[in-house]
Amino acid sequence: MLKIKDLRVEIEDQEIIKGLNLEVKAGEVHAIMGPNGSGKSTLAAVLAGRDMFRVTGGKVLYNGEDLLEKSPEQRAKEGLFLGFQYPIEIPGVSMVNFLKTAVNELRKHRGQKPLSASDFLKMMREKKELVEIHSSLTNRSVNEGFSGGEKKKNEIFQMAMLEPRLAILDETDSGLDIDALRIVANGVNQLKSKETASIVITHYQRLLDYIIPDFVHVLYDGRLVKSGGKDLALLLEEKGYEWIKEEAES
Amino acid sequence: MRGAENARNFSQCDSLLLGDKCGAHTFPYIETDNSSAIVEHEATTSKIGEDQIFYCNQRGIATEDAIGLIVNGYAKEVLNKLPMEFAVEAQKLLQITLEGSVG
Ligand SMILES: Nc1ncnc2c1ncn2[C@@H]1O[C@H](COP(=O)(O)OP(=O)(O)O)[C@@H](O)[C@H]1O
Ligand SMILES: [Mg+2]
Repeated sequence: MLKIKDLRVEIEDQEIIKGLNLEVKAGEVHAIMGPNGSGKSTLAAVLAGRDMFRVTGGKVLYNGEDLLEKSPEQRAKEGLFLGFQYPIEIPGVSMVNFLKTAVNELRKHRGQKPLSASDFLKMMREKKELVEIHSSLTNRSVNEGFSGGEKKKNEIFQMAMLEPRLAILDETDSGLDIDALRIVANGVNQLKSKETASIVITHYQRLLDYIIPDFVHVLYDGRLVKSGGKDLALLLEEKGYEWIKEEAES
Repeated sequence: MRGAENARNFSQCDSLLLGDKCGAHTFPYIETDNSSAIVEHEATTSKIGEDQIFYCNQRGIATEDAIGLIVNGYAKEVLNKLPMEFAVEAQKLLQITLEGSVG
């Protein structure tokens, strides 16, 4: 589904991603861990098409096509979803209006008719239950005045509404209590199928008690320096990142 | 008006900037002929940020549609207070001005 080959990314003439390789197949869940500043959010943003980052080398294939050539909205319509580490507030734009536009753009892309207002509201009700999100939140402007945890839950709610093929979640679990964490994990697990895949960026092993990853990778200084199974996450929890840094630098 | 005792007024100028190559200059002008009048004025400026546009893009909404959503949302509060025939007219105007404002 996703093939990243020797990817190199710069911002302000500083190289952040320094030759990264990763292959994600349909049906898989990958966890990416790593110390702050190692380039996790940069990788996520580049895959979603944020143009402030400059790709200086390498290739990314998504379903066999060149991903980096496509506009961000094209990527989204082809099923790539990014759960933002810091979701953006859009005052004045109601959640309902925002999501209705997003869902109908997606349907148009798939050759489906737009949803009627009542079908859309029904879908919203169903998905809201799934992520246990308050009705009052969806009546407000996009993320405006939401608490940190509410913003994160709102990302999962949007993911549930848009049913992506490849979901990239950037520290969606950070700052969440155990109940919210369970909800986030639930959202990811509900999405899981033979045709979909997820990349879960996280700092904490605890999320991986709920989302069982097929692979765990450590991103350090712009490269994936170690890959393994769930055990690697437990090892990192126990021993920290120092030994990884030493290994990577020796 | 000279004969209006204790008159009150409140004007508000809110500007929304599109893109980073523009600014807003508002010139509120209020004249009073009666010294018992209380007048107030307030101005705010907000800007559509690149990260707001990108957030919409990431949800499958093209930049032009994203700007439309944000501008309409911004103006809705005022438009809703206008009589129906004005509201329709204003909505159309808004659409016309937005065309070509996106590079
Ligand atoms: N907008 C930016 N301008 C300049 N440097 C940036 C910007 N975004 C990220 N960086 C730099 O890129 C590096 C990686 O950041 P980031 O991808 O956010 O790491 P992580 O998500 O792993 O904590 C950091 O050194 C950070 O300072
Ligand atoms: Mg980050």
